[in-house]
Amino acid sequence: MKMKRVVSMLLAGAMVLSLTACGSAAAPATETAPAADTAAPAADTAAPAADTAAADTASAGEPITLNMWCIATESDSNRHAYEEAIKEMAANHPEITLNWEAFENQSYKTKIKAAVSADEMPDIFFTWSCAFLGDFVAAGKVYCLDDALAKYSSELPEVMLGNTTYDGKHYGVPTTMNIVGLFANMDLLKEAGYDEIPGTYDEFIACCDALKAKGIIPFGCAGKETWCVTEYLESVIEKSVGADALNDIFLGRATWNNADVGAAVDTFQSLVNNGYFDPSGAGLTNDEVKANFMAGKYAFYMNGTWNCADFAADEAFFPKVKVAEFPVINADKAKLGQLIGGPSDTLAVAASSPNAAAAADYACELGKLICHYGYLDGCGLPAWTPYGDTSSVNGLTQAVSEICANADSYVLFGDTAMNADDANTYLSYVDQVYGCQVDGTQFIEGLANDIR
Amino acid sequence: MGKDNNMNKNINPSYDYEEIEYTIKKTNPVTKVITYIFLIIWALINLFPIYFMFTFSLKSNEEIFGANIIGLPREWRWSNFSSAMNTGNMGRYFVNSIIVTVCAIAISIFAALMATYALTRIKWRLSKLTNSFLMLGLTIPLQASIVPVYVLLSKAHWLNKYSTLIVPYSAFTLSMSILICTGFMVDIPYDLDESARIDGCGLWRTFFSIILPLMKPALSTIGIYAYLQCWNEFMFANVFISDSAHRTLPVGIRALSGAYTTDWGPIGAALVIATFPTLLIYIFLSRKIQESFIAGAVKG
Amino acid sequence: MADNSIVRVNENLKKEKRRRDIGTGVSIFLFLLPALLLFVGILIAPIVVSVYRSMYDWNGFSEGTFIGLSNYKELFTNGSIKFMVSLKNALILAFFSVFVQLPFSLFLALLLGRKVKAERSFLSIYFMPVLISTVVIGQLWLKIYNPDYGLLNRFLDFIHLGQFKHVWVGEVETALGSIIVPTIWQYIGYHMLLMYAGVKGVSVDLREAAMLDGATKWQVDRYVVIPIIKPIIRVSVIFAVTGSLKSYDLVRILTEGGPFQTTEVPSTLLENMLFLRNRYGMGSTISVMLIVLCFAFALAITAAFKERED
Repeated sequence: MKMKRVVSMLLAGAMVLSLTACGSAAAPATETAPAADTAAPAADTAAPAADTAAADTASAGEPITLNMWCIATESDSNRHAYEEAIKEMAANHPEITLNWEAFENQSYKTKIKAAVSADEMPDIFFTWSCAFLGDFVAAGKVYCLDDALAKYSSELPEVMLGNTTYDGKHYGVPTTMNIVGLFANMDLLKEAGYDEIPGTYDEFIACCDALKAKGIIPFGCAGKETWCVTEYLESVIEKSVGADALNDIFLGRATWNNADVGAAVDTFQSLVNNGYFDPSGAGLTNDEVKANFMAGKYAFYMNGTWNCADFAADEAFFPKVKVAEFPVINADKAKLGQLIGGPSDTLAVAASSPNAAAAADYACELGKLICHYGYLDGCGLPAWTPYGDTSSVNGLTQAVSEICANADSYVLFGDTAMNADDANTYLSYVDQVYGCQVDGTQFIEGLANDIR
Repeated sequence: MGKDNNMNKNINPSYDYEEIEYTIKKTNPVTKVITYIFLIIWALINLFPIYFMFTFSLKSNEEIFGANIIGLPREWRWSNFSSAMNTGNMGRYFVNSIIVTVCAIAISIFAALMATYALTRIKWRLSKLTNSFLMLGLTIPLQASIVPVYVLLSKAHWLNKYSTLIVPYSAFTLSMSILICTGFMVDIPYDLDESARIDGCGLWRTFFSIILPLMKPALSTIGIYAYLQCWNEFMFANVFISDSAHRTLPVGIRALSGAYTTDWGPIGAALVIATFPTLLIYIFLSRKIQESFIAGAVKG
Repeated sequence: MADNSIVRVNENLKKEKRRRDIGTGVSIFLFLLPALLLFVGILIAPIVVSVYRSMYDWNGFSEGTFIGLSNYKELFTNGSIKFMVSLKNALILAFFSVFVQLPFSLFLALLLGRKVKAERSFLSIYFMPVLISTVVIGQLWLKIYNPDYGLLNRFLDFIHLGQFKHVWVGEVETALGSIIVPTIWQYIGYHMLLMYAGVKGVSVDLREAAMLDGATKWQVDRYVVIPIIKPIIRVSVIFAVTGSLKSYDLVRILTEGGPFQTTEVPSTLLENMLFLRNRYGMGSTISVMLIVLCFAFALAITAAFKERED
């Protein structure tokens, strides 16, 4: 019963929040006139023949075969959700045979880019939203999903499509979404005299000092994987300058040269300089840091909410862990409910697919099912409106749902929001901030200069 | 070096010089002991990774990351192996890797033998230049050509086959194979060609019936170096092969790690599966390999 | 008449010879054909494409724009690309490879070449790290370097030298060294085996003759064996240098090019450009530079050895 309430709150929250879309001209398409679009994607000049062919086969309803690539490898937490969803799809659509292959995350990026440049994409492919998909869309390689998504408008809130909307057209089916959570080991907090995760920034700092006095390291962060540093840094910046300002910067609508951001970076650096971070972290991978956190070495661990499933699966650790939102640093500009994250995992359809229209319908339905099963498994929060009995979802994921239900706005992870070249420049500066090679001023000035 | 004729080596391959003069036996016993201690310590250092890999494959993430990094596993998790074999499908990838590597080595050896014959045993004007041209291959990094080759193969609809990997692999091992072949082939006395010609053999018959049989000792040397280049290759295998039916071991092993979480035990098990057979073959063949090394001694 | 017939015979012989030459030429061509097909198709053609693409600003899938040599210029002028850093690191690696790894390999090869007991077993064992996947080697060294439970820091604690403890792969001062040590160690066996073959190939008579002249073993090695196996040492040096320029695997596993991109090598930069930053044109530029450098070093080393011989 409690779950139902959370879900409805989540929905209500989702309706009012302002998810910002990628690209400058990417205001969510509010007019519901898909017929006027005649399914013509920006890509249609590139592959008009493919489109007509696709329409033909789709109407005939003949048995077809679709290929799909994704990153749900054997040990990925989403694997089970994909398997269940595909099983259900096979039962619902016996005329469609799906051949799917899973690849390791990092090597998949290489693979899909090479495939796009050689026009060798599978019919349906996994992609990250915003800039990653945006490059492919700009090159005219992705099939427009406006028609296919039209019939799901009641189940898939328009705000969830913001990250995959380019020039007002939809190109992706979101599956799960994730935010950055502040995970805490309550046993360690208790040792420092805290029963709850502190709600204000001053209390939070006091808590870190108390932990430090007890010889407990407050934060664990993997310096070898810079995206882990951004999980901390972006939260600090957002809670200092506010979600809208950060969003404008990430999406290129405002300059990096913003003194407030510089001050926020200095705030983050003071956390580092105060010794709140594990000094060993600079040489560790995320796997190692996460293992340390679960072994009780750190009091806090800021990372994506995809970790919920793993924490829940560890029987010894699960009772100790709680999740919360990072406290507000500057109440004039930021407030609670401004979160880092959003729907990023996406399915897209290749414009070159001979059965693009059928693949588009299939991808939408599959995305919905993956979302459903992924949520039940605790792999992330649903981008689609949840249905069925969701009471089996683990407590941590439910807690995250509650945080999201009160969400005011989201800022997508910086390295996903920016295009590939800028994202890497950004990451290299974040790396230098964590290592105290540059201060806040140098950070904002450097980025303002180097981002093309 | 080694210009003394090849035949003798074949008769007496173990190279037992009986000269006590040039052995360690006569040296001062202290030096001798120090030498052996040094050799043994160095051997232990080089054996350690194998021990590490084996114990690693039987541990849980908790032990691997901190609790027990180099000791014997507290709980011997043989299940890591079954999960690598079953869910990770390592058996299939292993077979694929063998097919690809063996074919690539075979093509590389054959092409290299033919080319080396033309380069070293037939006199023609541009042979030196052609040889240096082929030696360029030693300096080309694999990463540099991945996208052009991929575009080429995809235009030719030549992806997702065993030959998709076999052909590039044999091309990339070719220069090394020719280099080693040259070392062996110049050691074969040129009189043999002469007498063959007098007997009325053409170039082709000379090559197939006289030179090829004498090149046998070269095969294991070329084989091991070509193997080193093919067996662990990841980049091409990842990009060129999209269906798991033709996937090779390195890509399969990588696919065991998840996007955000990784269970390292089965990865260790997969690495053992990928490495131990080759170690066994190496130990089994090492005498032969070393012999062929001694017989052929690579020359530039 | 007789003259005529001689002329005719001569002509026939000439024709015969020409026919044979053409036949030989065709044979040579056919002998080389498989190798050339593979070589040109898979290695040379992509280089030509890379040279062409290096003059474009291109992300790999959209339309590119021709920008001439701007990529080459940017490679050296843009501070955030770190090409010079990567080159410096590769050269440092090459330096240690040539002046630490190869002498050690040579030392082992000479030692084993002296017919020590169980020399074959030692030889096999020393070669084993080459056969083991870099993933295993990398994971092992990460365990050695781990700041908390790593063997190195524990050892330093144990011998009361705790002040020398470091976050080995995470600090600017130690990160590059942390890469160099395992890279060098892994391939000692590779070079040793090459050199051992040469050492064993030196005829026993030569050694004996030198010994009879009163030379010690080290003198024999120095003045008899090493000069003879020089061609092998040259090959080893070329492999060591070009291998260092191409080094990739262990850098990826141990430091990911960090901290602060101070341990990038050309190959990691190349991969970043191609597949992380979507700058395919710039990636091609780096690969062209890499090929040119490898080739130039190979030529320079060959020349250096020639000069020494003369």
